[in-house]
Amino acid sequence: MSIIEPELTALKDNLLDMLNLVINQISTCKEAIHKIDVKLAEEVIENEKKVNSQELAIDRDCENVLALHTPVAVDLRFVLSALRISNDLERIGDNTNSLARFIKHNSKEINKKLLEEFRLEKMLEILSSMLQDMRHALKSDDTNLAKETLKKDLLLNEINKKALKTAEAILKDQSTNAKVVLRLFSIVRNLERSGDLTKNIGEEIVFHVEAEVLKHRKDK
Amino acid sequence: MRKFRLKKISQFQRNRLVDSSFLYLGIFCTFFGLIILAIFIGNILKDGLSRIDWGFMTHLPSRNAAKAGILTAWVGSVWILVLTAIIAIPLGVSAGIYLEEYGKKNRFASVIETNISNLAGVPSIIYGLLGLEIFVRVLHFGGSLLSGAFTLALLILPILIVATREALKAVPNTLREASYGLGATKWQTIRYQILPAASGGIMTGIILALSRAVGETAPLIVIGALAYVPFVPHSPLDEFTVLPMIIFNWVSRPQEEFLVNAAAGIIILLLITFLMNGVAVFLRNKWQKKINW
Amino acid sequence: MTFIEAKKVNAYYGTHHVLKNITLDVKQHSVTAFIGPSGCGKSTFLRTLNRMNDYIDGFNCQGEILIDGQDIYKKDVHVEELRQKVGMVFQKPNPFPKTIYENVAYGLILRGVKDRKTLNERVEKSLKQAALWPEVKDKLNKSAFSLSGGQQQRLCIARTLAVKPAIILMDEPAASLDPISTSKIEELIAELKEDFTIVIVTHNMQQAARVSDKTGFFYLGELIEYDKTKDLFTSPKEKKTENYITGRFG
Repeated sequence: MSIIEPELTALKDNLLDMLNLVINQISTCKEAIHKIDVKLAEEVIENEKKVNSQELAIDRDCENVLALHTPVAVDLRFVLSALRISNDLERIGDNTNSLARFIKHNSKEINKKLLEEFRLEKMLEILSSMLQDMRHALKSDDTNLAKETLKKDLLLNEINKKALKTAEAILKDQSTNAKVVLRLFSIVRNLERSGDLTKNIGEEIVFHVEAEVLKHRKDK
Repeated sequence: MRKFRLKKISQFQRNRLVDSSFLYLGIFCTFFGLIILAIFIGNILKDGLSRIDWGFMTHLPSRNAAKAGILTAWVGSVWILVLTAIIAIPLGVSAGIYLEEYGKKNRFASVIETNISNLAGVPSIIYGLLGLEIFVRVLHFGGSLLSGAFTLALLILPILIVATREALKAVPNTLREASYGLGATKWQTIRYQILPAASGGIMTGIILALSRAVGETAPLIVIGALAYVPFVPHSPLDEFTVLPMIIFNWVSRPQEEFLVNAAAGIIILLLITFLMNGVAVFLRNKWQKKINW
Repeated sequence: MTFIEAKKVNAYYGTHHVLKNITLDVKQHSVTAFIGPSGCGKSTFLRTLNRMNDYIDGFNCQGEILIDGQDIYKKDVHVEELRQKVGMVFQKPNPFPKTIYENVAYGLILRGVKDRKTLNERVEKSLKQAALWPEVKDKLNKSAFSLSGGQQQRLCIARTLAVKPAIILMDEPAASLDPISTSKIEELIAELKEDFTIVIVTHNMQQAARVSDKTGFFYLGELIEYDKTKDLFTSPKEKKTENYITGRFG
């Protein structure tokens, strides 16, 4: 076994840990929305620190591998994709954190019906399922699964498109605080962004294993 | 933490003891040889130095010990040396170069190599017999300097070939590669790179071989060199005598004066040998300075 | 423009099949690197290009090797002339035990150049091309062995350059040198590329990646992959290549 292998294995483990963290954050957030539970929201906010420190650790590990082992070919592609995946995960974590903060600070003004209109729970469900697929794909280098999962992002895009109309309708009603509605609208946008970021993770997995660049391609 | 303590009775001390015993043994062995040599030379000088004068060097041999000189003998020795060198050196060095550089390295070649080494050990009198038949009788050179030189050339040929080959083997292959890589032919490589690099070793071989030739007596006796030659040889076909022969002749005489003459002759012979070696070492050092692996 | 072309080259040491069906081509004014584990045939192949293998008993080469369109293994080819057109630098610097000047002038003397002025000019030019002139210009009559290892290797390069070859073969040229001397040699290769075609065998993959335009991976006598260096080191096509360059074996 070459010297670089344990380093790459450790890097992958760290990446999977971070992925698990983010998946947990999302499912906790989903529950927080379901029950409008401030305590759960606070849990998410607290764990955000862990997500950030994981990103820093992965950054550092990648830098070490590049400097000490000068990896080439598949190893180099893995390190590059690990850097980008951890970055994507951090931003997904960030978005989830914003949602949790919203729940914490606006728990009095929001109700289940309002959240249902924007289909937040559904979005979090799709996102969670996408990330779980990506976890499996990352663990077993399964590029087919990664490519399949990319399609699920379309659902998030759908919901995002409708959000504008939903927001408009609620605002006309004037029974709800405009600020809250606008905040919810931007949260939907954030969750759609999280879906894009999850798609990026899939593209990075394909880049690592097959050396194919799917980024910015129209015909994916 | 264990303390770092050196034990009193240690393996290291034992090793040191063996080391210094060998050192003293080596010194003893070296000086033993040198001392014996010094005694021998001292003895000879004591016996013969007084006898050496211009007359000794230029007189012909005579039954009268006081008048006897070694002129014909040392002139004969020089003749033999020069003639043997002229015949043997080109032959021996060329053969060595051919065998080492051009010859194919197969089983036949190693048979040749072994046999040449064997020839170097054949008793010199055998060469004398060979010379007698071929040069003296068949080729009708008679008991002359030419026969003597050819016979001795045959004798020292194996030494020259082996020395040349060893000197060539010692030249690293990287040198040959570098030369070929620049587009040199085999002969160009040998002439410009290998021979200069091997010259020290070849020179040493030549001197060793010629030193041997200068001291050989048995084969020359067989081919007919005489003990009593009252004239200086003028051509290669003349009869001759050499220093070792005249020394041997004098030593077998009963008169004591002849023993003194013999000692003086030995000094001259030693002088010639040392001179030759000195020239060789000088030349070798001069050429070796440039080569530095 | 294709300058060196190997077509189905098979080579044998006696019955031992050391090169198997090697086919590749090298463009003029490029640097090509051959990599592979010990004993894979890369040095053997390099030496077929200037027929240095001819000196090994039992060596036999089949197939075609064309340089500038000419088959160099044809019967009427003058090997000495070939070797002046295809120069070679060896792994351990091997200057002649002569002066620096004599080392560089040797190739010219072999060709019969006697005119002092010409020799002086060519020696100076070659030493300048080998980036050694400033360091030796005041001691051309000193022994070549008075130079350091890295300088000696550049001297060997100068000596090869003096006969104006078209191709320079380098068999692990920096293997016995320290990192600074190595990088000087690599810089030199990058400069020489403009006037010569360079083929280099190296154990050091990072070196191959740094200096070459194309890289060939040899394994057990076969040419496993031969591609642009950029592509070979980021996404090689063969699994064996990938395993080798990522250090999984060899």
